[in-house]
Amino acid sequence: MLSAQNISKHYSCNGTRVSVLQQIDFRLAEGEFVAIIGRSGSGKTTLLNILSTLIRPDSGQIHYHDKELTSLAEKERNRLRKTDFAVIFQFHHLLPYLTVLENTLLPLMGGLSPISRAERERARQCLQRVGLTGLADRLPGRLSGGEQQRVAIARALVTDSRILFADEPTGSLDTATGSRIMALLAELHQEGLSIVMVTHEPAYAALAQRTVELEDGVRLN
Amino acid sequence: MNLLTIPLRNIRRRPLKTGLLLLVFSLGVMSIVTLSQVSRVVGHNLEQQLNSFGANIMVSPHREKLSVSYGGFHLGEMLLEPEYLQEAATKVAIESIGLRERISTVAPKLVTMVRLKEQAVALVGVRWDQELRLKSYWGTTSGRFPRERDELLVGARAATALGLSQGDRLAVLGRELVIGGILSETGSDDDSVLLMDLGLLQELMERPGAASFVEVAALCSGCPIEDIVAQLRESLPAAEVTALQQVVNQRMASVRFVQRLALSISVIILVTASAMIGLSMLSAVNERRCDIGILRSLGYARSRIFLIFCLEAALLGAMAGCGGYLTGLLAADRALGLLSLAEGLTPQFDPGQLVLSSLAFTAIAVIAALYPAWQGARIEPAAALTQF
Ligand SMILES: Nc1ncnc2c1ncn2[C@@H]1O[C@H](COP(=O)(O)OP(=O)(O)OP(=O)(O)O)[C@@H](O)[C@H]1O
Ligand SMILES: [Mg+2]
Repeated sequence: MLSAQNISKHYSCNGTRVSVLQQIDFRLAEGEFVAIIGRSGSGKTTLLNILSTLIRPDSGQIHYHDKELTSLAEKERNRLRKTDFAVIFQFHHLLPYLTVLENTLLPLMGGLSPISRAERERARQCLQRVGLTGLADRLPGRLSGGEQQRVAIARALVTDSRILFADEPTGSLDTATGSRIMALLAELHQEGLSIVMVTHEPAYAALAQRTVELEDGVRLN
Repeated sequence: MNLLTIPLRNIRRRPLKTGLLLLVFSLGVMSIVTLSQVSRVVGHNLEQQLNSFGANIMVSPHREKLSVSYGGFHLGEMLLEPEYLQEAATKVAIESIGLRERISTVAPKLVTMVRLKEQAVALVGVRWDQELRLKSYWGTTSGRFPRERDELLVGARAATALGLSQGDRLAVLGRELVIGGILSETGSDDDSVLLMDLGLLQELMERPGAASFVEVAALCSGCPIEDIVAQLRESLPAAEVTALQQVVNQRMASVRFVQRLALSISVIILVTASAMIGLSMLSAVNERRCDIGILRSLGYARSRIFLIFCLEAALLGAMAGCGGYLTGLLAADRALGLLSLAEGLTPQFDPGQLVLSSLAFTAIAVIAALYPAWQGARIEPAAALTQF
């Protein structure tokens, strides 16, 4: 469903060229759960963001179904981000001034026409699905880290995303909460969601069907 | 819940910051509204005061002139027969033009020469109410302005030349009149004439309803005097209508100066207020890089981000425009009262102006936010990841 070939990316820091990713190949089949692992600074986040179209690679190609993403028009990329891809960041997921429900509906709020009753209902169902039934009207500032992560997952569900990109979704959480998030992801995967997840935890990586290991921007396995 | 929710919530999130920004912008709007209201009222008032320095349009009959010279000896221009306007009809014609609102005074006059103590002197019949409005700078050295039909007002030079003083009785055109007052020196033609009631003079001259010419004072802010003159010409085809340009120009210059001053101060305030909005939006964009990144990663197009910031500025502008207009109106009222600038004239509340000012300041706020919004729209989705 999603495949990348020869992905390279570098950053220029104070005039010196730092190569972050070199000639990476990556494949994700429909309904697959892949974990990206590696030491800190190995380029995991960078790869994830390139795959989810948030960053453009220097070279290489990414195919999603029959589309080549690196050369895709901005408009098409926006559409993909809205409907097919969902991203869960390590720390920042929610707009602090919108309620949990509004944050969940955020992908659908981009227009001037109001959110329909059906969409709202669907958002409530997604919140229920991630176990946040009673918190719809709270502001994110008054949620725990794990609850915030779950709002981000509910947001991914509301648009019926095809692939979930998660960057250390348990990184800032205690083990118990982290385990609950992982259980939720595993459940969603069982229901057919494709997942690409970056993680440090070997135990969580073990939940994935496949792991891809990076070291200094090079793929090991 | 739609795109508007985002800027709305954002405005609500920081009540203090929003409140402060609104306060400053409203103050700016308020000072502009105050200034423009005060300048309008003062301009109007000034115009009326300036108006007291005489007429600016003259309506006179077409003169049949004959230039007479004989054997190289120039006899000058001779009037074959003095012509007259019909006072009532002329007044009606003047007051029926499209711009009649602009006409403040219509002062008809009848002029004739009389012989007094072996000297020729001009006798001018006037309508006192109109004349005194036109010449509010007039004063008397003795006596008062005539109230009775048979009272005369004597110009300062005429009084000296003829040795006249208040209370003297004079036989004029077969009627005994009494000198009601002596006019203070004016530096104009009025100094050497005798003034009396127009109705009585028409009677004595056996020319009922006749006027030699009519002086008209018109207020001309926002409308060129030429327009008024053109309309008068159309309405009075048989008469000659001339604008006393110099008086008009001078008068308008004063009014325009006041208005330009107010305008330039307003522009400065406006630029300052807009800069504040722009700076505040710019800092908001930087503060919210991460939020923008999240929105972009959720598929929000650049144009949507641009729109969010413009809408936010528009909301602020509309609120400030509305609040500023209302407080500005109140402030203008106070200012005019304190400066005792305009007797009887107060700023008028006008819902149309309220809407217009809100719209205008909304537009200004949006313009001020264009650059910050563009900066915001340039932020890449990856911004959601880089900031901690
Ligand atoms: N915007 C950037 N500008 C310059 N260098 C960057 C940028 N983003 C990442 N890097 C560098 O690229 C390298 C890989 O970063 P990346 O975030 O992909 O690592 P990571 O594997 O996700 O690490 P971690 O496990 O700590 O999150 C790092 O050395 C980092 O310093
Ligand atoms: Mg990382």
